[in-house]
Amino acid sequence: MSSADILQTLGNKYSAEILDATDEPVSAQELSDELGIPIATCYRRIDELTEHDLLELHDNILSDDRRRIKVYRRNVDQVCVDFEEELSVNVEERSEVTNKLDEAWRTLSDG
Amino acid sequence: MIQLTQTGIDGLDDILNGGIVTNSTTLVSGNPGAGKSILCLQYIYNGVDEFGESGIYLTFEENASDLREAAESLGFDKWPEYVADGKIKVYDKQVLLRENDFSSSIDLLLDDLEDDQYDRLVLDSLAMFELFFDDEMEKRTYLLKFTDILRENGLTSLITNEQGSRFPDTDIGLANYLTDGNIYLIQTPTDSGVNRYVWVAKMRKQNIETDIFPMEIDWGGIQIHPSASAFSMMGEGDPPI
Repeated sequence: MSSADILQTLGNKYSAEILDATDEPVSAQELSDELGIPIATCYRRIDELTEHDLLELHDNILSDDRRRIKVYRRNVDQVCVDFEEELSVNVEERSEVTNKLDEAWRTLSDG
Repeated sequence: MIQLTQTGIDGLDDILNGGIVTNSTTLVSGNPGAGKSILCLQYIYNGVDEFGESGIYLTFEENASDLREAAESLGFDKWPEYVADGKIKVYDKQVLLRENDFSSSIDLLLDDLEDDQYDRLVLDSLAMFELFFDDEMEKRTYLLKFTDILRENGLTSLITNEQGSRFPDTDIGLANYLTDGNIYLIQTPTDSGVNRYVWVAKMRKQNIETDIFPMEIDWGGIQIHPSASAFSMMGEGDPPI
């Protein structure tokens, strides 16, 4: 995947807002509601971001009305764009250790 | 009524007025060679040997075989047997640092914690644990989350902390504030070797003896002498530092 591609994806309307809001796992509907994004656009952006590994499907959780809903969480902490030599985009992934501790800690509070 | 977890270490439980507060996390600080790992080893061993409580020993510093040899050299003969039976679960340097992949070890560890099979845990050392986090804020956040996870899973934990400065100077880091208990192991050089002391500086929810008491490391592990005269900075002769 080319660097320009990632920039394109990030540059799409709402992409940055979605990444900003997915520090904790969030569903498409919640994103749409909270950020005021039309739901169809929201799904499209989620697909694009997931395709580029910027966002990941975190879990299928059971909603209050007992339906399965997908929740997403961002996969990056930082994106660096370097123009100095040749355009390069460096995606700093979230550390896995922090992810796992976050998850374990969150399930504590649920219990 | 506060529940206590006995260390089974001679004299230490007396100073602690019974033991470490159950489900708490205590930082064990000291210079290299002060006896931190021995105290931890003994805590886990006694757990199984005297109190029927299983333990997890996480070490970034040693291999399982180093640990076994250390245990046997102190007279903890049944260490290999307890490890084989699963009463002591060792995550050693090789496992924890395999392919630099602490995160898969975290998965295994978290599974073990949720098992409810273990009551005691040792993490040797804090410094290595902190290497997995990027900045002070992350270190602080994840130490808190980690200790929460330990507490909620019913583990009474010791974490070792390398102390750079020599007593009576102490490095007091965030970790000292974030943990429930602080135990310092102190060694001061003498003509014939070293004098060793232990100081329990803090134990939340528990009334402790805060004097500094002499201790020895010998066959059988650590022995503390709560009745001996406490360490004094005003002693005769040259000051120890």
